[in-house]
Amino acid sequence: MTAFIDDDSLRKIANIVGGEDAIRVVMALKDVGEATDDQILMKTSIKLNDVRKILFKLYDHSIVQCDRIRDEKTGWIIFHWRLQPDQLEGFIKNYKRKIRKILETRLDYEKGHDFYYCYNPTCSRVTFEDAVELVFHCPNCSNPLKYFDNSKIVEVLEKKVNQLDNELKEE
Amino acid sequence: MPRRNDLENRALQIVMGKGSEGILQSDLWRELKANSRDGSRISLKLEVKNLIKREKEMSNGRWTYRLFVKRHPLEIDSVLDIPCVTCPDIPKCEAGGEVSPALCENLTHWLLSLTDTEKSPKVA
Repeated sequence: MTAFIDDDSLRKIANIVGGEDAIRVVMALKDVGEATDDQILMKTSIKLNDVRKILFKLYDHSIVQCDRIRDEKTGWIIFHWRLQPDQLEGFIKNYKRKIRKILETRLDYEKGHDFYYCYNPTCSRVTFEDAVELVFHCPNCSNPLKYFDNSKIVEVLEKKVNQLDNELKEE
Repeated sequence: MPRRNDLENRALQIVMGKGSEGILQSDLWRELKANSRDGSRISLKLEVKNLIKREKEMSNGRWTYRLFVKRHPLEIDSVLDIPCVTCPDIPKCEAGGEVSPALCENLTHWLLSLTDTEKSPKVA
């Protein structure tokens, strides 16, 4: 399968998985096609241990694949790494699905509860049920708790969930 | 020698890069440093996979095809601002789980930053 993804998205995915260094590793692999840990080290100047950590992280997400080849002289196994561009679409879709699920769970929670708040910026919201038990006093600063309108939060979550639904449908 | 799949990927990247202007098939295989036979095979394959469309065009007195990208590249931008993207707890984040979206402090901060709520509460 051929990947339908541009370099910019590839960089963003690498950044999600392993930060700036992962971007350098991925772009190095993209340039050479296939490389060993040492060759990537030479191209990126990232410490060998860190190169390996990043590669295994990318491997966990199926963004790279490797062939293990035994060196005839030393007997050591050498990993030959290359990108798996055809897996990137799947990575993006799965990530979007996972985040959509998280946002939907949060949306249900926001819709299903009333919140009370002392309006002290260092304190937290509490649910109505907790507020009753606390006799409507903040457990942190003891100030009276007042109703907190979360309709804007609900609105933001609904918008984001809908956006992700549409994108997943199109893709 | 590059794998055929690599060539396809490179070809697709080039066509994607040309956007709505498209690229002549003959220019594509030159950019790929492939021969015309490989170039036309690759573009045909991409068309069969529904990734590009080919439109016949006369260029320098010869018929060739102009290649256009058919789908928009997959975008990840819509989720990049959400803190979950870089959260190390994302694999165990679920309702009633060890980490819960309902009570996640980072998610709350992000939501409140989008709602312009004055004197926003610290956490859920």
